[in-house]
Amino acid sequence: MKPRRAKVSVTRVLAGVAGLALMGVGASSLLDVPDLMDVLVWLGGALVLHDAFIAPLVLLAGLVLVRGGVRGPVRGALLVAGALTAVALPVLLRPGPRANSSVLPLDYPRNWLLTLLTVATVTALVLAAKGFSRHRRRPPS
Amino acid sequence: MEDMRSRILSLRPPVFRGRLHDARTATSIGRWLGLAFAVCFVTGLISHFLQHPPGWLANELPSRPAWGYRLTQGLHVASGIAAIPLLPAKLWAVYPRLFDWPPVRSVLHALERLSIGLLVAGAAFELVTGLLNTAQWYPWPFSFVPVHYAVAWLVAGALVLHIAVKAPEIKAHWSRRSPGTLALSAEDAPDRRSLLAAVAAAVGAVTLTTVGQSFTPLKKLDLLAPRHPDHGPQGLPVNRTAAAAGVGRIPDESYRLVVDGPRPYTLTLAELRGLPQREVELPIACVEGWSKSAHWTGVRVTDLLERAGAPSHARVRVVSLQLRGGYRVSEMSHEQARDPLTLLALRLNGEELTPDHGYPARLIAPNRPGVLQTKWVGRLEVLS
Repeated sequence: MKPRRAKVSVTRVLAGVAGLALMGVGASSLLDVPDLMDVLVWLGGALVLHDAFIAPLVLLAGLVLVRGGVRGPVRGALLVAGALTAVALPVLLRPGPRANSSVLPLDYPRNWLLTLLTVATVTALVLAAKGFSRHRRRPPS
Repeated sequence: MEDMRSRILSLRPPVFRGRLHDARTATSIGRWLGLAFAVCFVTGLISHFLQHPPGWLANELPSRPAWGYRLTQGLHVASGIAAIPLLPAKLWAVYPRLFDWPPVRSVLHALERLSIGLLVAGAAFELVTGLLNTAQWYPWPFSFVPVHYAVAWLVAGALVLHIAVKAPEIKAHWSRRSPGTLALSAEDAPDRRSLLAAVAAAVGAVTLTTVGQSFTPLKKLDLLAPRHPDHGPQGLPVNRTAAAAGVGRIPDESYRLVVDGPRPYTLTLAELRGLPQREVELPIACVEGWSKSAHWTGVRVTDLLERAGAPSHARVRVVSLQLRGGYRVSEMSHEQARDPLTLLALRLNGEELTPDHGYPARLIAPNRPGVLQTKWVGRLEVLS
């Protein structure tokens, strides 16, 4: 199928040029960085890590869940728990001594479990409320 | 050989049967992600220029609003954290596009795909390095600040370009009643709403459990942030301790403050304490995102400068007695130096400063990154 030749508006062209210009600023600042190769390895690594590992794993998990008939609140709960875990990973896993006692001062494993427990509780309540309202809508005849 | 060739020929992209990998889902999440990145980029630039002003700006940095940097840097880190669930969700929605067949249709298409690759790589890179930096974890071999800054421009540019390229599709799926959205199967709408609600809940959850590190009314919910407003000497977090800076506790009798200007002079600690003392309420706002307001008592910097005969338009350099570590020297624009809230503070929340907070004297000024609130101040220099 041939893409339709749409008229490209001036605003879009200008925005595109502005985007390229901003990218140019970034590229030229990157060239001033002494360890450019290391940066490129990390940039490429981020892309490969996401596209080749994280995304396929999440899609696979989604496939298994959908096969199991799981959508709605349970899918939501897994998504929220995943996001909380991603944000908590650095404070949970950071190795080495801390600069002082005010850096990473909390009991992060405990707090992380607490957030997951809250997600589980809220999800259970939502499911219960849904079941209850469905039950009330269709009273036994 | 034959077998290999037939295998390569039979290489076909995977098939995605999931029904929400569509432009409406991508547009809905993309809007929020775009907003988060825009806020993150602008606040990042503000932080950059407050710390590394170009020559023409160095003497023009504003000292008000006093809470300015607290707000912008709090937003910088909060919008970055909010993007952590949004970016993977957006990429999930568009992931099948990675396997577009044929992979390249034209030179323009190849360039567009290249820009998307840069956008995804840069966006993930910025979120990962930014989050690890807040936890003071540096597993990479390069220096964080210049690289995080340079890649931010790259991402901002690639994002603007992406929006320009996709504008018609974005417009066609902007709302529930947009033509593109209406062309999609209506039976998927409830499932899409449920997914979008889950993404919103994830953004809410990561925000609520971290934003208390700077938005103190929510400090009780600060469960996962690398800092907590109540943890630290004198109830205030610290970055560089006196031990790390190599100063320890500076003996009262050996301390001198040198004010260098047209009429230079030197003060002992007793003389400094004898000058009129003011009390101000100002936040310490760290570049890593945490911040907390405190009561500071000390001598107005403008009074010290007046006595040295400093011209009212002069910039001022503040030099620490610290022996180790960066940020030993900071500079203030004339507005920051002359602001009545800017103090050479001797006391914090009614008590003498502890060594970790800069005993015997530290700078505290409005609308200024924490790393520039120089501790263990030994010298003020009037710059012409």
